[in-house]
Amino acid sequence: MQLTDVFQHVGSHCALDGVSLRVQCGEVLLLVGPNGAGKTLLTRLMAGLDRPSAGAVRLFGQDLAELDEAAMTALRRRVGVVMQRGSLLDGLTVLENLLLPLRTLPMDREAMARAARLVMTQLLLDGMENHQPRSLSLGQRRRVELARALIHQPRLLLWDGLTDGLDPASVRDIFAILRLQQELRGLAVIATDNGVMQGLGESARIVVLDRGRILFEGDQDTLRQALPERIDLRYVIEGNPG
Amino acid sequence: MSDGRSGTPWRGPAGWLERLGLAAVTARLCLAHYADVVLGRQQLDLAALAGALRQSGLSILPAITLVTAAAGAILGRQAASIVDEFNLPALLLLSISYAVIMELIPLLVGIMVAGRAGVALAVQQATLVVTGQMDGLLVSGVNPITFTTAPVLLAALLMSFAFAVWGSVVTLGTAFVWLLTVSDLAPSDLADALRLAIDPGDLLEAIVKPLVFALAIVLIATVNGSTGGRDPEGIGQAATRTMVGAVTSILLIDLLFALLW
Repeated sequence: MQLTDVFQHVGSHCALDGVSLRVQCGEVLLLVGPNGAGKTLLTRLMAGLDRPSAGAVRLFGQDLAELDEAAMTALRRRVGVVMQRGSLLDGLTVLENLLLPLRTLPMDREAMARAARLVMTQLLLDGMENHQPRSLSLGQRRRVELARALIHQPRLLLWDGLTDGLDPASVRDIFAILRLQQELRGLAVIATDNGVMQGLGESARIVVLDRGRILFEGDQDTLRQALPERIDLRYVIEGNPG
Repeated sequence: MSDGRSGTPWRGPAGWLERLGLAAVTARLCLAHYADVVLGRQQLDLAALAGALRQSGLSILPAITLVTAAAGAILGRQAASIVDEFNLPALLLLSISYAVIMELIPLLVGIMVAGRAGVALAVQQATLVVTGQMDGLLVSGVNPITFTTAPVLLAALLMSFAFAVWGSVVTLGTAFVWLLTVSDLAPSDLADALRLAIDPGDLLEAIVKPLVFALAIVLIATVNGSTGGRDPEGIGQAATRTMVGAVTSILLIDLLFALLW
């Protein structure tokens, strides 16, 4: 994933102001910033849901602006996305939602069922196959979204709103699963949140975004060292105002 | 099928061009999907097709039957009085048969399908956009057009054809029963009028016209449903724009058929 000098205008407001980023295979990137920083916009651009006003978004070496709908659809099969405000289909059951990314893959029903069982067990969703998304709690819906994003074994996971609806222990458990997938098959993770949760960001690269601009990029130790001189970064370390 | 821009409405001449482009892409994707189904490369979503058939078919069958029967009764009543006055039964019956099969029923069916299937599709798609469910389809690698529009288009085509046949039978049947009851016409007069009124070319037009209407309705619904934006009021706007756009386009297409066929 590579963003080069990306601008995004919403009306007359410049919501992303020259953002450049690069994420390698197997890397974990935490994109943090306050509400309105541009994290969700950036996630939508990286998922190919919106096009930037200027700049380039490249995914697996391909410029998203140059892809037609079919090529974009094919590329999305290599990416898993968890949207912050939820994107489960209300007219489908949990299982049907989970199987959506597998619909167009050359898999038989048994293989699909096996993949669904595995990911449901990993994310503590056993027994919810026939539930409607509306009947689930926010945390359960987030888990289903995450399960849908992982069921087709993507190379890249975009997770907007890391801790939304999930308690810290659940996030750490889920991150442990992601770490495993990262080691096994080089899964790259780009997650967004308001701050860096303790126990998550140690080996991740952290990018601090505010008002559409990157304020900081580096690991958590560098971020901590920078804090005394950078009052604008203090809120990003959860429970550690510097 | 994202609008590709954050909050930019599809307005102005460029917006209309984009809408036409989206309609063309929708038609192409649906045809490609049907071809893939026929060739065994994709499976038809039978549950979605059944739902669409129920929505654009069974749910409006009573209304279509009632409206076409009422139209037949009105035609029969008016025709009987004209036959009494002018005594030109052959010409009158010929005119009625032609008008019913070629114009009245295709238009009635088109308006009913627009009001039910077209508006329902536009509302479904606009709701998917507003609630973020459209994003869910996109990020799952599922093309929203093959997921939502393709089953509805197939159902609308099937049901429009079926309703055109059924509506013509009901309207002409009701009108002819009325005439046979109150005037001195013989059943053979009615059969002769039908035979003279409709030649094979006309019959083909009568079959093709509702199908073209159905295609236009579904494309208009898809464009309005998917370009209404992410605000909730986009749902209502998509519904009203679809109804107005579909009825207008049906009449304009009918005019083109009259001029060009």
